[in-house]
Amino acid sequence: MLRAVSITITISLICGSVISCTPAVPPDLLTAIEDIDHQLISIGAPHTAPDEYTAFAARWAALTVRVQTDDDLIRWPWEPNHFEDELRRLLAEGTATLAKIEERHALLRSSAESMLATLDDRLSTLSTHVSLLGNHILLGKEVTQADLLLKQARSFFAQGDYARSLSVAEQAAKTLNLQAEALTQDLQRYADSRQVARWRLMVNQTIEWSRTHRSPALIVSKVDRQLSLYENGRKISSYPVRLGYNGLKDKLVQGDGATPEGRYRVTAMKGERETPFYRALLLDYPNAEDQRRFLAAIRSGAIPQTASIGGQIEIHGMDSTGASQTLGCIMLDNQHMKTVFSRVTVGTPVTIVGALTERNHIALALTELQKQRDAG
Amino acid sequence: MKSMMHIVVFVVLIILTAAGCAKPPSDKIEAAEEAVKNAREKGANVYAPEEYAKLEGKLTALKQELAEQESKFAPFQDYGKVEELATSTAQEAAIVASAASQKKEEAKAAALQAQQVAQEAVASARDLLVNAPVGKDRAAIASIKSDIEALTASLAQVQASLDKEDYQAAQAQAKAIDEKSRAISAEIQEAMAKVKPRKRALK
Repeated sequence: MLRAVSITITISLICGSVISCTPAVPPDLLTAIEDIDHQLISIGAPHTAPDEYTAFAARWAALTVRVQTDDDLIRWPWEPNHFEDELRRLLAEGTATLAKIEERHALLRSSAESMLATLDDRLSTLSTHVSLLGNHILLGKEVTQADLLLKQARSFFAQGDYARSLSVAEQAAKTLNLQAEALTQDLQRYADSRQVARWRLMVNQTIEWSRTHRSPALIVSKVDRQLSLYENGRKISSYPVRLGYNGLKDKLVQGDGATPEGRYRVTAMKGERETPFYRALLLDYPNAEDQRRFLAAIRSGAIPQTASIGGQIEIHGMDSTGASQTLGCIMLDNQHMKTVFSRVTVGTPVTIVGALTERNHIALALTELQKQRDAG
Repeated sequence: MKSMMHIVVFVVLIILTAAGCAKPPSDKIEAAEEAVKNAREKGANVYAPEEYAKLEGKLTALKQELAEQESKFAPFQDYGKVEELATSTAQEAAIVASAASQKKEEAKAAALQAQQVAQEAVASARDLLVNAPVGKDRAAIASIKSDIEALTASLAQVQASLDKEDYQAAQAQAKAIDEKSRAISAEIQEAMAKVKPRKRALK
């Protein structure tokens, strides 16, 4: 009997010690949650998904503390283990949160990457077109602003903050849209078939005048950056020209950097010692039409009352390595200027137009920019 | 025997009375809450988000333990763990707050440094433009003026971000301005290199 009691006590002690050695929470469960926590931190969840991360981490910290501090960690097998249940729920929720954040990150990353590439392309297209149309058309501040925003967006992207990168990229896109709209507004007339027809008519009339008067005439197409010399209604030769830094615009006031459009005449010829620009042909800008537009702009408040109409518009020379733009004049390489100078006289008509065809560079550029805007 | 019974009853009553007097350590709990709040105010949720999230967790655990003890019959209440948690939470919160403050100061210093570099780069570009010699190519240089104006305006955005304590944005903005300003300065220098002193024409 005594032996049976002794065996029972021994078995009980063994069972008891086995049970008492069983941890209340499986260590691998804690490790798994810890791993989820590390993964959330490594993908930057505390910064990019602070609410979700805090919800997880706060529960995790709370449970960790409770597991560590609870005295009643040793349970009988039949006792329910609330901590384990809670930890398993947290593991499931943490895993789901991690998957959700990873998915969102991947989506944001892809959207930001794609948007940055699109904006790079748009900015590059805009800059290329602007460059092709003549460096430094005064675009305003938007392009610089868009460029700065794009740089910031790239910086946030590099830091893995895709949401912020996307948000800044969207601002850059809006700024670029504004710029493209402004550019379209300024240069729309190059794509306007009626305007192009009017320019063509002016050119044809000048050529006809040259033919009937058996005299030279000069035609300047701003979009082509070309000056053509006509004699007796026949084109003798064409030369590349450099225009005002804002040369594609129609001149309105002094200092606008624009090259005027219209019918002019040579009013004076300046030889080598009379001009710092090799040789020069002074034009009768502003003519009556220029003055009418200028006064109308003053009356409408488009330009200040104190504005001046400007003057001293010339066709002049410059060595080929010199300035790439003018303040509004038409500039030829010296050798071409020499030829032109020798073939014209005071009174020679000079017709300056924007474009001669509807399918000009600007019209095509505007169409492309519009397409990009629509696609963006 | 009767006397012995009296002593036992007396001792039990003393124990029960003493246990019944157990009160939550309100001052320590408040101190812990205040310390966590202070850590947040010091920017811990932004500059030490992992640690701050864990702090909030400890505060939650503390409150759960407090609620559990309060739900017990008075003689069995034991606020020892609550007190221990409150003390350790307050201590950790102070460490997190200090670390967050330091990180925030570092971010601020980096942003201010970037702002200064950007300001200098813009000023340098502006000086180049102002000091560009009068000549026909002044036209080309003048057209860059709007770029510099845009950069100058953007400097105000850096300051606005600094004022909002968004040092990450301030730094990104300042770096972009610096990069752009340097590119513009190079462009101006290139344009200036072509300049030959000539008499200026009126346009």
